[in-house]
Amino acid sequence: MGKYIVKRVLQFIPVFLGVTIILFAMQNIVPGDPIKLIAGERQLDPVTERNIRATHGLIETDENDNIIYDENGDTIETPMWKRYVNYLGDLLHGDLGTSYQRGTAVTDIILQRYPYTLQLAVVGIIIEAIVGIGAGIISAVKRYSFWDVLVTLATSLLVAMPAFWIGMLLQLIFGVWLHVLPISGVAGPIAQYPAWMYYILPAITLASVSTAYTARIMRSQLLDVMNQDYIRTAKAKGLSKGAIIRKHALKNALIPVVTYVGMDFGAMLAGAILTETVFSWPGIGRETYVAITQRDWPIVIGMVTCIVLVVMIINLIVDVSYAFLDPRIRLGSSKSES
Amino acid sequence: MIYPVHQQPGAAAHADAVAAEHGGAAVAGAKSRTLWGDAFNRLKKNKLAIAAVVWIIFVVIVAATADLWVPQTLGDPTATASDNMAGMSRLAPSLEHPFGTDTLGRDVLSRVIYGARISLVVGLVSTGISTLIGLVMGALAAYYGGIWDTIIMRLADMFLAFPYTLFVIMMIAVIGNGIQNVFIAIGILGWPQIARVFRSAILSVKENDYVDAARAMGASDVRIITRHIFPNSVASIVVYATMNIGGAILTESALSYLGMGVVPPDPSWGTLIQDGQQYLQTQPWLMILPGLAILSTVLAFTLLGDGLRDALDVKMKDA
Repeated sequence: MGKYIVKRVLQFIPVFLGVTIILFAMQNIVPGDPIKLIAGERQLDPVTERNIRATHGLIETDENDNIIYDENGDTIETPMWKRYVNYLGDLLHGDLGTSYQRGTAVTDIILQRYPYTLQLAVVGIIIEAIVGIGAGIISAVKRYSFWDVLVTLATSLLVAMPAFWIGMLLQLIFGVWLHVLPISGVAGPIAQYPAWMYYILPAITLASVSTAYTARIMRSQLLDVMNQDYIRTAKAKGLSKGAIIRKHALKNALIPVVTYVGMDFGAMLAGAILTETVFSWPGIGRETYVAITQRDWPIVIGMVTCIVLVVMIINLIVDVSYAFLDPRIRLGSSKSES
Repeated sequence: MIYPVHQQPGAAAHADAVAAEHGGAAVAGAKSRTLWGDAFNRLKKNKLAIAAVVWIIFVVIVAATADLWVPQTLGDPTATASDNMAGMSRLAPSLEHPFGTDTLGRDVLSRVIYGARISLVVGLVSTGISTLIGLVMGALAAYYGGIWDTIIMRLADMFLAFPYTLFVIMMIAVIGNGIQNVFIAIGILGWPQIARVFRSAILSVKENDYVDAARAMGASDVRIITRHIFPNSVASIVVYATMNIGGAILTESALSYLGMGVVPPDPSWGTLIQDGQQYLQTQPWLMILPGLAILSTVLAFTLLGDGLRDALDVKMKDA
């Protein structure tokens, strides 16, 4: 077991390095001098410009942050590979750099925005787990019934809808027509509704499509397990259908579902650009999107680093608990099919 | 949200192929003895899949012939403010304008029809790109194994570790807005899934005696892959690619909604929804109708994919 965890952790290191190298490569391809993004239309005097370049690590400095000049008295541009090494070093110290446009530390922006994403993800995953697993169980237990048809139909429709459109339909129905829930934003000082109400529509939107997938996986897993020999044995023993499902079938059928829901929680923690845009939700998805359009690379890289780390840690926890739940993986061959 | 790992049709489709080879894939009442003939016979019995095919053909014909009749009957979909149609701004749906008109007085149905062109082309072209890259990568990984397998599969992990929407948006930010770039971005980012499906399909076919036999007869690697392995794993690729088209259409609509897709005044279903969002309170149909276009088309591709999976998959059929 310990060996398995170590192996998974070691596998993440090259993936993480790869992702961040891709990020740096992208930054290098995009045209545009960062200094123009910082200064905008203003003309900077050379000294200020040099200092800004030095603070963002764009030109070489010595240990005391003094700018190094070459023999012609020009500044030396830091090569991309060296900036990448510096980035990794700073990352180990919890420093993600400073935003070009706003001049604030990226870690501060993350700390300010991440709680909104986290709260939305928690509400979303609760909805997904309860509704998805519940619908899947009902649909499998009462196979071919009205409820099964309803769940199958609803999941087929949901996975074919753009999530942002689902969000707008919810706004239309509950905000515009019924006037029971706020249309967008978070509760401010003069909020019209109690604070918790602002979470409902964005969380449903965030969870909608994956709830449909959860229900589908739950249904097919449970149907699959019900065909197994040990279920037939339980039936032969004379156990009631309810007892068989509760005591024997669900345990095994739930493993892949829990894996999916867990991985989806990681995806939700990565921020939801579309949901956050539709509902003007101040999470990291929207923030990252705005930073991308503004070419504010320190924010983009910092946010993506943070997101990728969170996603990887969640996936690791899911993988390990999967191995813990399923002895075939824990004790079986060391095959690392991911 | 994330897409779950698709049920891989590879192994079962392979069983089908082997069974067909031995003449064992008999379907009651069907004469055909080939894999595709049997599959077609089964698909014909699936009413949902047939309805999906009919809808896809309808959308394709309407979109392809749009130039011949849409501007004449419904109006120019790309008229600008200078065309002075402000008097017709945001009319409710009527016989003359079945989907109503937008702020500039343009007919929304005409814009939805032209948007279908964008969506269909994005769906097909980007799926084509993903499939091509995925096939090559999957074949390299599975057939040569060892270090190739490790490198390619770890590369696939990297692509999948990146949150998808974010990755597409960053790609677009790097290569610039515009519809060609949307093809490229969605196409490039879609390869890891196809590569995984093809890889596992190959791995299940590769161990067969007929592959050894071909090798013993001196067939080259390329010949073995293209003549023996590919035909026996193509079923899973076809199913996956069909479903992927719907996914690509959804991604394009999201990009256009964010303003990173088509360049105005060209219409796309995503931009139509974005335009309509402002009038949610007063003219909600501006947002609802383009969404229904996306829903029906993506649903059709999903149902067709489901139908193909069932039709090509004897084992699941019997279960």
